[in-house]
Amino acid sequence: MASTIAPIAPQFDDAVQQRDASNLGIWIFLATEILFFGVLFAAYAITRTQHAAAFAAGSRLTDLSLATVNTALLLTSSLTMALGVYAAQSGARRALVRWLSLTVILGVAFLVIKGFEYHADYVEHLVPAVDFSYPGAQAGEVELFFYLYFVITAIHGLHVFIGVVVISVIAVMASRNAFGPAYFTPVDLTGLYWHLVDIIWLFVYPMLYLVSRS
Amino acid sequence: MKSHSLASPRTYVISWCALLALLLLTLGSAYLPLGSLNTAINLTISVTQAAIVLLFSMHLRSAHPTLRIVAGIGFFGIVILIALSLSDVLTR
Amino acid sequence: MSSISVAQHDNYLTADFRLWSWLITLDHKRIAVLYTVSITLLFFIGGAAAAMIRLDLLTPYSELVSIETYNKLFTMHGVIMVWFFLIPSIPTTLGNFLLPLMIGARDLAFPRLNLLSWYLYVIGALFAIESLIAGGVDTGWTFYTPFSTMFSNTHVFAAVTGVFIAGFSSILTGLNFIVTIHEMRAPGLTWFRLPLFIWAMYATSLILVLATPVLAMTLVLIAVEHFFHIGVFDPALGGDPLLFQHLFWFYSHPAVYIMIVPAMGVASEIIGCFARNRIFGYRFMAYAMLAIAGFGFVVWGHHMFVSGQSAYAGTVFSLLTFLVSVPSAIKVFNWTATLYKGHISFEAPMLYALGFLGLFTIGGLTGLFLASLGLDIQLHDTYFVVAHFHYIMVGGAVMAFFGGIHFWWPKATGRMYSDAWARLAAIITFVGFNLTFFPQFIVGYLGMPRRYPEYPPEFQIWNVLSSAGAVILALGYALPLFYLFWSLRNGPAAPSNPWKAKGLEWQTSSPPLPENFLRTPVVAEEPYSYSTGGSTDG
Repeated sequence: MASTIAPIAPQFDDAVQQRDASNLGIWIFLATEILFFGVLFAAYAITRTQHAAAFAAGSRLTDLSLATVNTALLLTSSLTMALGVYAAQSGARRALVRWLSLTVILGVAFLVIKGFEYHADYVEHLVPAVDFSYPGAQAGEVELFFYLYFVITAIHGLHVFIGVVVISVIAVMASRNAFGPAYFTPVDLTGLYWHLVDIIWLFVYPMLYLVSRS
Repeated sequence: MKSHSLASPRTYVISWCALLALLLLTLGSAYLPLGSLNTAINLTISVTQAAIVLLFSMHLRSAHPTLRIVAGIGFFGIVILIALSLSDVLTR
Repeated sequence: MSSISVAQHDNYLTADFRLWSWLITLDHKRIAVLYTVSITLLFFIGGAAAAMIRLDLLTPYSELVSIETYNKLFTMHGVIMVWFFLIPSIPTTLGNFLLPLMIGARDLAFPRLNLLSWYLYVIGALFAIESLIAGGVDTGWTFYTPFSTMFSNTHVFAAVTGVFIAGFSSILTGLNFIVTIHEMRAPGLTWFRLPLFIWAMYATSLILVLATPVLAMTLVLIAVEHFFHIGVFDPALGGDPLLFQHLFWFYSHPAVYIMIVPAMGVASEIIGCFARNRIFGYRFMAYAMLAIAGFGFVVWGHHMFVSGQSAYAGTVFSLLTFLVSVPSAIKVFNWTATLYKGHISFEAPMLYALGFLGLFTIGGLTGLFLASLGLDIQLHDTYFVVAHFHYIMVGGAVMAFFGGIHFWWPKATGRMYSDAWARLAAIITFVGFNLTFFPQFIVGYLGMPRRYPEYPPEFQIWNVLSSAGAVILALGYALPLFYLFWSLRNGPAAPSNPWKAKGLEWQTSSPPLPENFLRTPVVAEEPYSYSTGGSTDG
């Protein structure tokens, strides 16, 4: 197991400073992502407060089983990602590539299932501005629910997609022995991003799918 | 700042089990007719799950205080945004 | 530390003369120069819009431009000045240039992100200019819904895209600054030995990284709603226009602190130097900027007192707004105390800094009038508000920006400019500014609404005074272009420390080496140790 050390960029004094800077940098970036999604949560909170019944009705029309499976998949992908980072730190190259590949597969599975969900929504005329139709007086407000539903899940899905791409790149680099116990920062940072995408979904899931199931 | 020492695989697997258990809990509780308590329970469980991911998978448990503050400020920002905006909507 | 002979080493300007080397540079000093050129260009575009506004307002009826065009003029003036001039100004020019120098580092933490920031700014600016050329936007810089999403058929999408992209430029700059300040300070440079300009960059960066993402997503929501005609901001569809305003102002109020806190940092550096005194209450000055950054996030509702927000929320926001004025007031007292018993000299940078002090105070005090719920009902959407924010942003921030440019010009270019001309420009700017904007307090108090191209004839005298002032102000802004550029070729060579100021940036050559320092400095003295001696040798 070769341990690879990244060259120290000229602005840094040593590898420790470089790694600490990278860590702080990624966490600040994650904080910006939290606030970025926060807007969607705020829009949801306020609109739902003003149209509670319509949100309940809309939520009941979402596909709970697919979403629950998706949540479990995403949680599992977080586990495989964490095990991948651990493998990197231990210098276990083959295990690292395996765990990263598994994470990619689970991420892709999430997106595929999401695709099925969107298709079903389309068939049931639940896509706003396209051919939304809902029987009942609250149609406009239920359409608002689905507007937020699509915006939130699409933007989250975009982040999943970006994560899948980045993890794939990292996996290829790992298979070429780019990482070892002395240097695995990119794996680490990617893992942090992936966990945040997971956390966001953990809030999105009850928000959109569990509003009124009783 | 000191780099985190990564947790063991055992920790990750236990966290995963806890997260799945909480997922079943939030799903199951949604079927109980508890009125506005449902939302509160869902939110609490989400926050707990987020805390587990942050502390264990994202190594905040052993991280430098600065990183913990950064993570905290992000969530705190959302809380302010939603709380003060709702304070308007709820009192109109 | 002894003087460094510039002749022995290439400085950052002479290291490579090819244009390509500038476009792919990773040197924070070159990126600062790139930004300076870009924002100056945008400043004059935004200024041209202002000139047309003031010309149109010379007469009570809109005789120069149509009403639709007038709406586009004040919108483009606001969009360009806020996002493409003021917000980037001090951080991306002075901040980029000075931050590593002031902390003894070779560059920022992420030089490639820094270059990317500049390119994002340029691309964003191109979108904004495209929206201008294509016909302009008429919604006001605040893009209030449902007009911007459902009814305006102007080029909202392009403008919003430009701001969105420029927002990422801001976020990356802030991220870079925070990491650099945390991780790359020279040995001995503890937090409370940092110059206040660095504290200002730090506080500003906190706001940049926390507030801008909220704007970004809000703009996405406007764009989606504008495009698909379905969304949460339109009451006709069950949405809430105040939801937009909450989201928009959650960013845009902290944004005004992005615009003023860097100016406060510049003012501290200049006032300390030209009063030859340590800054009074250094720790309070640092804490005050952090407090402004923090409190700035909980006052946004004061922009919404009369838009339908609940009275209870209004009361809370009003109280918090009064509180946020306290740290600013502390700073004004401390700058004044710094001047007390100092050895004051009135070089151009000091004139700008003193102008900042007085005008910022007036602007800040008038903010208290607006923070009061009862008064705001009368003053909201009048010229009183316009005067208030221009006193802070132009009388405060732009004055300090010009002061900073003049203070660090010798360091960045290696040339001295004519102080006589510079002082003249400072005075002309000060006179022009007050003549432009003080009448606006009066006419706003008398009831003239903002964003209107037409007004009752009895307000004309105040509008004429204001427009006359604008001509003088424009002259004050144009003059530096001439004598500063002239100095590049003909000015005497600048020593390392022409002002005998404290700070690590003055202990390297003018202009600095590409790597800033020959040897990493070690810091052993407190900041601003003017009256207690200490080294000022360049």
